[in-house]
Amino acid sequence: MEAAVLPRPDTLAKSGGDTAISLKRLKKTFEDDEGNLVEVIRDITLDIQEREFISIVGPSGCGKTTMFNIIAGLLEPTSGDIVLRKGRPKTKRGSQIGYMLQRDLLFPWRTILENVTLGLELAGMAKSERHAKGLDYLSRYGLGDFAGAYPHSLSGGMRQRAALIRTLITDPDIILLDEPFSALDYQTRLVLEDEIVSILREFGKTVVLITHDIGEAIAMSDRIAVMTQRPTTVKNLYDVGLSLEHGSCIKARSDSRYQDLFDTIWADLDIQLGAKHP
Amino acid sequence: MSTTTTLTDAATKRKTVSERKRKARQIFLQDNLARLLIIGVVLFLWQVGVNHKLIDPFLMGSPLGIGTEAWRMISTGQLFTDTVATVQATVAGFLGGSILGSLCGLLLWYAKRLARILDPFFIALNGLPKIALAPMIIIWFGSGMFSKIALAFIATFVVAVLTAYQGSHQIDQSLVNMMRSLGATKRQIFAKLVIPATMPWIISAFRLNIGFALIAEVGGEFIASDKGLGRLIFVNGNLFNLNAVWVGVFALMAVAATLYFLITQVEKRLFAWSKH
Repeated sequence: MEAAVLPRPDTLAKSGGDTAISLKRLKKTFEDDEGNLVEVIRDITLDIQEREFISIVGPSGCGKTTMFNIIAGLLEPTSGDIVLRKGRPKTKRGSQIGYMLQRDLLFPWRTILENVTLGLELAGMAKSERHAKGLDYLSRYGLGDFAGAYPHSLSGGMRQRAALIRTLITDPDIILLDEPFSALDYQTRLVLEDEIVSILREFGKTVVLITHDIGEAIAMSDRIAVMTQRPTTVKNLYDVGLSLEHGSCIKARSDSRYQDLFDTIWADLDIQLGAKHP
Repeated sequence: MSTTTTLTDAATKRKTVSERKRKARQIFLQDNLARLLIIGVVLFLWQVGVNHKLIDPFLMGSPLGIGTEAWRMISTGQLFTDTVATVQATVAGFLGGSILGSLCGLLLWYAKRLARILDPFFIALNGLPKIALAPMIIIWFGSGMFSKIALAFIATFVVAVLTAYQGSHQIDQSLVNMMRSLGATKRQIFAKLVIPATMPWIISAFRLNIGFALIAEVGGEFIASDKGLGRLIFVNGNLFNLNAVWVGVFALMAVAATLYFLITQVEKRLFAWSKH
């Protein structure tokens, strides 16, 4: 479990283990209001391993949301391919990928229990059965007392936990996280990072975290893919694994390699304030 | 030491809760007392003005005259008959227009293309003062209650369609995507997201529509009718019987306030989740 700090020259898969999703030469161009083609994603080729926690880090405006939407199946790439494990067709992608966003997207008119069991309800599971399952999940993750409460009476961190349970309860193979912590205060964020990593490991999920926060990516991930400015390509891949090694994201942050990685990735991002709009 | 503090704290908290409730009740009573006082003072000054010939009762009416007129109309049963007629036509048109309109507005969420095509028609209809249709409606449906129901229906229908349609289009696309990622069908998204998320809009349309339904209904009665509060006001106005006009106006105010109160109660029950 040696963390290699050196950037990998290629963007190919790490050897060993099955591939959960592979992104092959993804490209996305949009048409702007004047009818000009804007190239957002030039070429993303990336193999995501079964049960790994990979972070995608890039400078702001690098097309992270576009990437998220493409992987989540909400947007079709202009060209390129997304191949899921066991050669499942990409049209069935939606049901295998669950996601969690910065906003919890809980329905304010539903109780926490009704919110977390939404996916089961949509699949047609009987009320008593899904409520039993929901209560089990809620009490396992410290929300048992809030089953009957409405979202507005919970803190931001608790609502995010409820949103994660809503995703997990339908048992997707791959979990896509899109800046799920950016609306939370720093302390809550650190605690929730830890919780989410351990929950997701316990369930053996493949996780893709999309973030602009380098520290968060290093603290949580097994691997980090650093993206370039738009039009986006994969710039570098780093093996990390600090959270797995230390068993905690908070401890991972005090590892000596944390700062080295941070500096390297920071340099990769090549962030120049004010240089974006000359 | 610490136990004592906690106990005292709890006791204080309990006390403040019951005290706050008592205070709220007290404020409620005091406010209503002040309101009654304002009404009393206005009526008193009005009557004093009439008695001292400062106010012309022929042009303004007088509180005592209004009282006498009201008593006469209550004892003959005329006020009751007219109020019932107005309430029936207003409520029937209002409920029909608001409910059907909201349903149509919601269903337009399904048919985006149709919604886009119809949009300018609804905008134009919404801007039209619906009372302009009254002469036609009365020619088509006669001077009876049905034409008043039709007027109240038209006046409320367009507002309800537009509001429900706009509300259903304000729904955050992320919520729709989230439901899709959980495997929802379009019908499930409609039933479990679009309808509940649009409810606050629909209720606000209902609240607006009480006023619109009353305007259309009373306006229709002004033009042609055989009973109702609008007719009572219109006929007595033509006869310069200002006291009777006032009775009709007050009765209409009471009807509007009651309908508004009922909607507020429904709203409270529907949106229990927003306050806890």
